[in-house]
Amino acid sequence: MSRPSKPSLTDNPLDDICPVCKSNRYLNPSLQFLINPECYHKMCSTCVDRIFTSGPTCCPVPRCGKTLRKRGFHQAFFGDLKIEEECDIRKRVGDVFNRRQEDFETLRHWNDYLQDVEDLVFDLVKGSAKTKRRAEETLEEYRVKNLAVIEENKKAGQEAASLERQREKAEREAAKQRRLAMAREEEEEKMDVEKMKRSALDRLANSNEDANAIARQAQKGILKKTSARRTLTDAPTNESTTSVRDSGLSIRGLKKKVAPVVEKEYDPFGGIDLTPTRYILQDHYENDYLAGFVKGQPTAMTGGYSLHEYYGRSMLEAFSGLGVFIEDEIASRNQPAAMATIKAEARDDVF
Amino acid sequence: MKFNIEDLPILFPYPRIYPEQYAYMCDLKKTLDAGGHCVLEMPSGTGKTVSLLSLIVAYQQYYPEHRKLIYCSRTMSEIEKALAELKALMKYREEQLGYKEDFRGLGLTSRKNLCLHPLVKREKSGAVVDARCRSLTAGFVKEKKDRGEDVPVCIYHDNLDHLEPHNLIPNGVWTLDGIMRYGEEHKQCPYFTSRRMMSFCNVIIYSYHYLLDPKIAERVSKELSKDCIVVFDEAHNIDNVCIESLSTDITEDSLRKATRGAQNLESKISEMKDNDSEKLMNEYAKLVEGLRDADEARQEDAFMSNPALPDDLLNEAVPGNIRRAEHFVAFLKRFIEYLKTRMKVRQVISETPLSFLAHLKEYTFIEKKPLRFCAERLTSLVRTLELTNIEDYQPLQEVATFATLVATYEKGFLLILEPYESDTAEVPNPVLHFTCLDAAIAIKPVFDRFSSVIITSGTISPLEMYPKMLGFETVVQESYSMTLARRSFLPMIVTRGSDQVPVSSGFAVRNEPSVVRNYGNLLTEFSKLTPDGMVVFFPSYLYMESIISMWQGMGILDEVWKYKLILVETPDAQETSLALETYRTACCNGRGAILLCVARGKVSEGIDFDHQYGRTVLCIGVPFQYTESRILKARLEFLRETYRIRENDFLSFDAMRHAAQCLGRVLRGKDDYGIMVLADKRFLKKRNQLPKWINQAILESEVNLSTDMAVGSAKKFLRGMAQPFKNVDQEGISTWSLADLEKHKEKQDEENIRALQEAQREAMEGGAIQREVDMDEFDDDEAEAGMMELDG
Ligand code: SF4
Ligand SMILES: [Zn+2]
Ligand SMILES: [Zn+2]
Repeated sequence: MSRPSKPSLTDNPLDDICPVCKSNRYLNPSLQFLINPECYHKMCSTCVDRIFTSGPTCCPVPRCGKTLRKRGFHQAFFGDLKIEEECDIRKRVGDVFNRRQEDFETLRHWNDYLQDVEDLVFDLVKGSAKTKRRAEETLEEYRVKNLAVIEENKKAGQEAASLERQREKAEREAAKQRRLAMAREEEEEKMDVEKMKRSALDRLANSNEDANAIARQAQKGILKKTSARRTLTDAPTNESTTSVRDSGLSIRGLKKKVAPVVEKEYDPFGGIDLTPTRYILQDHYENDYLAGFVKGQPTAMTGGYSLHEYYGRSMLEAFSGLGVFIEDEIASRNQPAAMATIKAEARDDVF
Repeated sequence: MKFNIEDLPILFPYPRIYPEQYAYMCDLKKTLDAGGHCVLEMPSGTGKTVSLLSLIVAYQQYYPEHRKLIYCSRTMSEIEKALAELKALMKYREEQLGYKEDFRGLGLTSRKNLCLHPLVKREKSGAVVDARCRSLTAGFVKEKKDRGEDVPVCIYHDNLDHLEPHNLIPNGVWTLDGIMRYGEEHKQCPYFTSRRMMSFCNVIIYSYHYLLDPKIAERVSKELSKDCIVVFDEAHNIDNVCIESLSTDITEDSLRKATRGAQNLESKISEMKDNDSEKLMNEYAKLVEGLRDADEARQEDAFMSNPALPDDLLNEAVPGNIRRAEHFVAFLKRFIEYLKTRMKVRQVISETPLSFLAHLKEYTFIEKKPLRFCAERLTSLVRTLELTNIEDYQPLQEVATFATLVATYEKGFLLILEPYESDTAEVPNPVLHFTCLDAAIAIKPVFDRFSSVIITSGTISPLEMYPKMLGFETVVQESYSMTLARRSFLPMIVTRGSDQVPVSSGFAVRNEPSVVRNYGNLLTEFSKLTPDGMVVFFPSYLYMESIISMWQGMGILDEVWKYKLILVETPDAQETSLALETYRTACCNGRGAILLCVARGKVSEGIDFDHQYGRTVLCIGVPFQYTESRILKARLEFLRETYRIRENDFLSFDAMRHAAQCLGRVLRGKDDYGIMVLADKRFLKKRNQLPKWINQAILESEVNLSTDMAVGSAKKFLRGMAQPFKNVDQEGISTWSLADLEKHKEKQDEENIRALQEAQREAMEGGAIQREVDMDEFDDDEAEAGMMELDG
């Protein structure tokens, strides 16, 4: 998992020579090569110390001309520096284009998206200076436009990763427990058998029963013990494995369920639609009574009086009860009530 | 010989039958009728193959379904043997029935064994023959030829196209030799003849790999229908075959070659882009739609096949980021570079596919999904590019297969990186093992697909281990004992030397001079008394070498040399076959010889030492596996975790199956005789794990012997064997004529009837009692009810 601790000689001798000072790893096995993601030119750590300690300067590789800082240098992960560069670019692009498959309606769209991203990466890696610039622009543009989505996906990705890690950890822990239990079992079994044997020996020594019979009995007892233990221990451990697996699943399921609930706003009316169905509330109504002294009068408004509120209330009062037909309602109310009484009567009979 | 099992008439090509053969056939029939799987252990040398074939052929011909038989064996010679048996059987049937049945039986082995092309067949390695043949026979080669281009083709292959596709070869049984001769005569390729005729024949005999190795199985065995009868013969090692077929090793060298392959691909792509970009566009368009469509065009000769891709994957479209050829090659390169970097680590690492994928994603941004499509995508690309020198891309293909496997299976696999060959090595030689731990994965499709799978061998004890490890359920599980008119083999367990010092190949004592000397004395004594050939098995090469050099120092070899020639097996196949030849000569001309070999080597599997070639087999030490191997450790852990098979149980099972294999080498028939010596004190406790037929033959008085006692028994035994033994003595006991068989059947019928009657009587009596009890209960109830009434 760690980075290569002690790099060995590579097969290509050129790869083991510092292109700047020409020192050779063959002669100096502790030689370490570093790169700077500005230009990916390789040089040994001594050169880096020598050249860049006093501050940023030009890359010593001829015709490079990039200004480098010592801070930027690190060891390359890949042997092939082109791949190293590509992966750095991929990281940058991946941080921005981080949509997930769930975001897309069809697989086809998702695949098209993947290909577009790949094309962009290719432009950045292999394209000419011009395509590179254009690709950078596209990248930046997309980033600015989709800041929120990117942030969201990033969070989701991290969450998924951490869940995954947790699950793995739990599994490893469970495996360890199982192993321990198994070892303990074996130990106990051995002790049991040992005890049986000892007691058989004792009996052989102290009683005057038939020696063969005792031996046979002991043997049988031991066999029974071991097999019984085996069947006995088989059952509970199986259970425990399933339960462990279950708990792992439930963690995953739980998180997913919680997330959407939190996002929804609290609705005091429990989902009843309050918008009027029979009329449309307008912002303004012609009203002589109001027009006279309320409208435009700060004295009338300071107390929090709202014309809008007033309109709403008046309209509601005017229309309320319009859709209610009392006869119908009574009729429909009667039926279930009658039923209930019948039922009650029937029940009465029972007692 | 003609007889019936239930309603099924069977023609058996010999005048006599062994009782165990009859029992074996009955159980086979039971399995086939029930349509399930079975595990059968039949003592070696009792005509297992012929019983199997005659029952199944009879079954095929008698019932209207005409279920096809797929018979899998391990080696070429076993396949050839089975074909010969089949041929003899069919001839006998023809004579008896008076007409020729509509029947076709074919064998299939690799191109290397069947190729007729004068240039290709000269290649030594099987992989190269395959690759060269493909480049001569691929679909686009033919297209090019039709377009009038001058490309090399194989005439043997192209001739097949002029024949009727379902009648490339006449009916009958074709041995490998036979089909080669026919191919030469008619100028048609035997390999493709066999392969294409597979759906048109009644019996197919081929090697395990054609069914188990998913890379091959998909291609070769795809069209076989569900009701085929599948037989795995000599299947005691089937779990290892399964595991090997899904495991891969990656080395630095193979990665280097894979890089080169990727670079070649890259240049080929840009070439094609300039000249013939339409083809690439076509491929691209197909991939957008999904692999299945691209798959339609797949021929029998695809560059490689995907390893066990689930069907839903095949129906899905290729992920967008590897759709385009250049994207895919960049993807491969990234993956290879990543592997190279991982190989530089200098400590042992073992990790699960999941954690590998996580790490991979962190550094290379390769997701799991495109990785899964790797193998299939590469196949498609190679086809599009019309590459001919396919063998150059073999390492790349390995990497792609690895990629697909690692992304497909989360469980049952492990990645182990071993930077050094051994613990003491200084120069790193890293190997990345991708090992399958679960034998059930590879064989699962077989059990899912075919309704009857028969697993059989001479030594497959303990029977219940196999269903457990391979994850299937059996209808019949049976181990047969050997009926013998006289005791023709003498198994013994020697636990100590003449000086009463226990002998063992246990790690603590294996190099102690007293133990080594005792083993040496055992060898000397038996070399004195054994006529002709004697085979000695050691647990490992390492141990064999050290013990031989110690014997040399003790002068034991010089002593043995007086009585017998000494020959040694080596890991080198050619040397070993030379040694074997010499051994055989020495056994035949009366000089006698000893062959020292290894219990897990080539000799122990598949080479028979019948009659004078082996009169004594001596097993020095329990042939345990090398337990320090990390792969084995991982597998043990997996077995314990998943199947609840304990480490020690598995190790001892594995050791004993190898020991049993070794012992079975000397007894190849009922007229054969031999001595079997198990020399280790640990065998005492393990004897129950030997196959039933061997274990039953061990007398109580011969389980805990010292060398001198063993020598005494052996001498007595050999004296008995020297007495004239007439065939007549065997009649009715260990061989049955038709009359004996009838008698047995009658007896069995009677017994069945008696058992039935008994059961009936019991049932009646039981029923009567039951009824009485019922009555009582009823009465009680009523009485109680009455009381209640009274109370109320
Ligand atoms: S088609 Fe047959 S004969 Fe021709 S090269 Fe291939 S295997 Fe050989
Ligand atoms: Zn330098
Ligand atoms: Zn530079």
